[in-house]
Amino acid sequence: MSPTQCAQFERMLEEQPDGPLAAEATAHMEGCTDCRMLWSDLEAIRTTAMEWGGQDVEPPEYLWIALRRQLEFEGLIRGSIREGSQRGWVSAWFGAAPRWALAGASISLLLIAAMLAGYQKNEPNTAALLPTRMSISAARPKLVAADLGKALDGDLKQVFDSLPEGNTVLTSSLRENLGIVDNLIAVCEKSVREQPDDPVARDYLYGAYEQKAVLLATAMDRSALEGQ
Amino acid sequence: MKGRVGSVVCSRVAGTALIALFLATSANAQLRRFERHFTVQGKPVVTVQNATGRIQVRAWDKQEVLILGQRGSTNVEVDTEQAGNRIEIATRVISGNANPDALRADYDISVPAESELQVRSDSGNVTVDSVHGDMSFDTVAADLALQDVEGYLVVKSIGGSTICTRCSGRLDATSISGDVKLLQPTMDNVRVQTSSGNIFFDGSFMNRGIYVLKNYSGTIEVRFSSTDSFDVRATSLYGNVINQAPVVPDRHSMPAPRSGLAKSLFGTMNDGHAKVELSSFNGTIKISKRE
Repeated sequence: MSPTQCAQFERMLEEQPDGPLAAEATAHMEGCTDCRMLWSDLEAIRTTAMEWGGQDVEPPEYLWIALRRQLEFEGLIRGSIREGSQRGWVSAWFGAAPRWALAGASISLLLIAAMLAGYQKNEPNTAALLPTRMSISAARPKLVAADLGKALDGDLKQVFDSLPEGNTVLTSSLRENLGIVDNLIAVCEKSVREQPDDPVARDYLYGAYEQKAVLLATAMDRSALEGQ
Repeated sequence: MKGRVGSVVCSRVAGTALIALFLATSANAQLRRFERHFTVQGKPVVTVQNATGRIQVRAWDKQEVLILGQRGSTNVEVDTEQAGNRIEIATRVISGNANPDALRADYDISVPAESELQVRSDSGNVTVDSVHGDMSFDTVAADLALQDVEGYLVVKSIGGSTICTRCSGRLDATSISGDVKLLQPTMDNVRVQTSSGNIFFDGSFMNRGIYVLKNYSGTIEVRFSSTDSFDVRATSLYGNVINQAPVVPDRHSMPAPRSGLAKSLFGTMNDGHAKVELSSFNGTIKISKRE
């Protein structure tokens, strides 16, 4: 299936995240395994989110505490959050962002986790890892709650070290752009710290994290390709 | 006398060695050169995967795909395959221990004008001329130059630049540090995002067109003519917005900026037929009049 059609499919999802699939998108999905899996994952996320909302189930306490501690430590939220209002600060942090942006950010982080897990297992095909995203995220909440940035940086180093030595232009470009993205993330985090209620600043921070996910996916992809 | 004979012998030996070297080099180059022909019908899909090297694609009026190529060394192999109207070309590295130049492959590809292209390259240059089919590009450091192309264009780059001259159709381009330049486009749907690169748009905004240009740093510059008709919304969170367009207050009630920090410009020029959204984190946005 052509990447162009897949890109069109993704755009249709972006434009109508909650609506029924257009006939054209449904037709494409029937013939495209990757897009079918993407849709299936999004459905799973959506269903799970609705279940959480509908049943009003509290998430595990340790997860909120760890996340809250980390975000307070990084200064991304203030420390004056009332006890028992965990859902409140989460919605305050993510609330103004479009739901799709949140889903996209989640997917990016899940994708990173899945790819890193796959890398550690030496699985060559990242596409094959897609179905495991949900289970990885559910099985390893502490990975997300812990300092994800540091974990990512450590694994990024491994990915970069596995890039082909012969193609110095590729390696140096990826390294250089990683530096650019890390710098963007730092600047955006500072901006969110200074203006925690500014939705645009938050949007840029999400975008910077997405860029890092894209960069990592590209590095993984090139690493696997060149290693053949 | 003895010395003169010795000198003649030496000259002959040297000459012979030079000729042998030339012939060997020539034979080696010949060995690394290749040519493939594929007869196709209608709109073929051509896929090219080449990590390092130049890829040049041109449209021609034959129902045939012609691939002329040169391998940098015998450390790389070129695989080609035809399955109906799908042509796949891939450079395969046999031994990765060679120097970068030895791992490159250069391609000159001629395709029917309506061909669909899918190109993947890490470093080198990619140029496409006069092809009128959908195309996608996945590059890391490779620079991309498109000229007189038409279709739905998807560009994903990490650090490579993109220059699109007289392109038509739709464009969806993302990059981290690459510049994106659109010269004389006739496109009704343009979405460009680059983190630290510059974005330059110099062309007419088409009626009902949507133009979304975004970066983090760097400059976004769009040029308009006095007959252009568009709604503009330009927002830079920490940078500047420099405007030369004689806009009037927005007539179409576009949503107000969500940020209290940002420097913004909202307005309509002429009847506001096109929609132009420019946003930057700390870069400069310029809306300039075309000379």
